[in-house]
Formats: sequence, C-alpha cells, structure tokens
Amino acid sequence: MDALGPRFERFLAAVEPDRGGRVIACEAITGGYSRISARARVRWRDGTEETFILRGDPPPGSGVFTSDRDAEWDLLAALPAATSVSTPVARWYDRSGEYLGSKALVMDCAAAVSLQDEMARAARVDTSADPLADLFVDTFAAIHQTPLDGLPDRMPRPPDGRAYLDAVLAGYDRMAAQYPGSAPVLRYVSWWARAHQPPPVPLGLVHGDCQPSNVLVGPAGPPLVIDWEFAHIGDPREDLGYYTQIPLEPNVYWADPERFLHRYRAATGLTEEQVNPQVIEYFLIIGMAILLEQLLEAAAAIGRAERPGILASYLINAISHQYGMFLAICDRLS
Amino acid sequence: MITRPTTDTLIEDCCRELVEDILPGLSDETLKLRLVMTETVLRNAAVRAAHEIAWMREETAALLAYARRVVARYGSEPLRAALADAGAGPADSLHLADVADCYERAGRAFAAALAAAQEAGAADLVARAREVLRDRIATEKEVMATYAVVGR
Repeated sequence: MDALGPRFERFLAAVEPDRGGRVIACEAITGGYSRISARARVRWRDGTEETFILRGDPPPGSGVFTSDRDAEWDLLAALPAATSVSTPVARWYDRSGEYLGSKALVMDCAAAVSLQDEMARAARVDTSADPLADLFVDTFAAIHQTPLDGLPDRMPRPPDGRAYLDAVLAGYDRMAAQYPGSAPVLRYVSWWARAHQPPPVPLGLVHGDCQPSNVLVGPAGPPLVIDWEFAHIGDPREDLGYYTQIPLEPNVYWADPERFLHRYRAATGLTEEQVNPQVIEYFLIIGMAILLEQLLEAAAAIGRAERPGILASYLINAISHQYGMFLAICDRLS
Repeated sequence: MITRPTTDTLIEDCCRELVEDILPGLSDETLKLRLVMTETVLRNAAVRAAHEIAWMREETAALLAYARRVVARYGSEPLRAALADAGAGPADSLHLADVADCYERAGRAFAAALAAAQEAGAADLVARAREVLRDRIATEKEVMATYAVVGR
C-alpha cells in the first residue's frame, strides 16, 4: 500500500465517521495522460467491502493537461438527473486536497471493462465489432442530446454554434501569437477553417475525450461514461472529430465511417449535410483546440524550475502530428 | 573537442542502454512507461541534434523569402516591421539559441505575410505558403521517427 492508502483512510474517517473504513489495498492505475488515479479496496467495520476509484490532480506545476476538479465534480453531480447516460456513482470529493494531497474525486469502481478493450477482444477473435461500435455511437449521441438546462450553471454557454466556432478559431489565433514556432501552421489553419465552416447544429454537451476507453461495459446494466474533465457546451461534432485521431486499435470510426455516421445521424436527427466524413474531418481541428493549447503550454514550460515532467517532452511529437493532420485536412477539404 | 562519436550517436547509445539494460530490470509499471517515453524523447533529440541547425537555417531562408515576396506586393507597415524584426536577429551565429531565435522571428514574419496574403485573397501566395508548410511538416516527421503513442 503506498502513502495514499493511509491518507484515504483518514479521509474516510472524516466523511463516513461511523463506518470504520479500513483501506486494505491501494494501487496506482497507469494509463491516461491527465489525472492521477488509484484503485482502493475498503473494508467497513460491518465486514462489507467496496472498491473505489480515486481521481486527483497531479502536483501543482507538473503534468501536461489541466482541468477544473470543482467543475468536474459539479458536472458528475448534475449528470444523473440531466442525462440518460450513466456515470459511475460519485461518492465523495476532497475539495481542498486536505486529505488526499490534491483535489480528488472518489467514485465507485464499477465491475466493468473498457469498451475499447472489448472492441480489441472482438478483433482478436475475429468477431464483428459492429454491435460495440453501435453502443459507442449511441452513447455519445445520448450525451450530445443532454438538455443544457440541467447542466451546472458554471458551464459557459456560447450564444450559438457560429459564435462557438468563432471563439475556438480565435483561440488558435491567440496560440499563434503566443507560440511563434507554431504561428505559421496555426495562422494557415485558422484562416482556412474560417472560410470552410460547415452548417451549424444546435449546441450540446461535449464530452471532450470521446473514445471507447472512456466507456465502461459490464455484464449487466448500461454503459458508464467516465473522465468528464474536459466536458463543455459546444458543437457535438467536435467529439466525433476528436475520436478520429485516437490511435488505439480498433478505431471503429475508421473501420467504416459511413456506417458510423449513419448511425449517429439516426440517433441525433442531424442531416447528412451537417454530419458527413468531411465535416467530421473539419471538427478534428475544432475538437483538438483545448488539448493543443495545453500541449503548447507544457512544451513552453520544459526547462523551467517547475518542469511539467517527461510527458510534456514526449507529447511534442503529438503537436507535430496534429499539425500534419490539420494541414492534410485543409488540403483534402479545399 | 572530441567530435566522434557525434552527439546523435551518443544519445542513441543512451537509448540502447535504457531499453536493453535498464527497462528489463524495472517492475513498476509507471516507471516503465516513463522510461519508454524518455527513450522516445531521446531518440527524437538524436535526430534533431544531427540536423536541426541546418534545418532551421534552411527554413528560415524560405520563410523570409516568402515574407519578402508578400511585402513586394502588399507592403503594409506592420508587415514591413515584422520583416525588419526578422532581419534584426543574430543571423550570422550558429549557436543553437541564436539559430532558434532567428527561426522564430522568421516564423512571425511569415505568419504576418500569410495573413496579408489571405486578406488580399492572393491565391498564388497562399498556395506558396502551403508549400513552405509542407516542407516543415516533412521535417517534423523526420524528427518524430518511430513515434508511437504509449500510455493511453
């Protein structure tokens, strides 16, 4: 048990003082690029046991991707009433980091595996991944149709889809001004993107890290969607564009884009003019904006006293990779 | 100065040490992942060490040539100022920080020139800018070498 175990035990004593929780196992979960995660097994005084997922911020000044834990907690608290999509039960929140060392969410650990793992298993045994792909599409279509009035007030609400896209592209201009090494590509891409805006769609809840790894499936019950830290109100198509660049195999979008998008259109009622392979390529540019800015910030911090860690250096390649994709999209869609 | 092995060869040797001798001895999954990432960064650094000064100087020339071409047609004051700033860099120095400084100044001038060409609707100049950027991406792909995403 690492040092987190005793700290979690003290936290449990504070939030559940009458239950006498003892942490009997606690291990870090590897994988993921943003938050620090751990799985902890707890035995209560009455002999029952539960397993929890702890999800906290990395130490200040380290890490690459930043997000607001208070906002994530508020969203997790609002989602059960706001949407038909299920999430793991959020149990407690160390809002100050007093107990767990940083702001950290504590959620039930579901008896489930990632949809990405299930897709990979299907591929290994030569089984069709279509039902899993459909589940993935339907899950995100449901997220995108979440009524916005049930979401936390703190979530910024752009006036409309056009204004939202304008703001994202203005963000690229801001990045170009701040990071001169990136200015040539970003200026080219933002100008191109302004001139090729697709037909608008209603604003929706965007997950922000749309991939099957963030959908958990178990033997029973609905799929559970996790990792909401980059969720925001925006253009739902950016989730689809974002997924196109996820390199984990199989990628069920690239397996059959037309089938994927036909299913999505049927689930959302959007038209083929609004959702087609070209539009989804366009939205890769939009869907990567938040993370790209954070990658650039982290790269700029390398070498400072508070270094962001090896991930920042490692992901410089991701910046180059994104630029190559952005320019290729401009070429293909021009 | 001991010139052989060259910097890239030294770094590549460190990569082999990490992967062949140190990685197998690690049991902590998080440390393993960080070591794999470190090795990737070092491998990229080896490619950069071998070529980056030449690459940046070549591209700096292309960026400035483009900016001058746009200035000749649409010589606005901000664009001339950006070009003048690019010319004020330590262009004769081959020290890495100076070369990078000149490269960034040239990039700013290029971006300003591109914006002018875009606003003017000069399709030929925009197309030429795309060619310059295509070369840049080709170089970055060489640096990326065998990059593959790990840890997700």
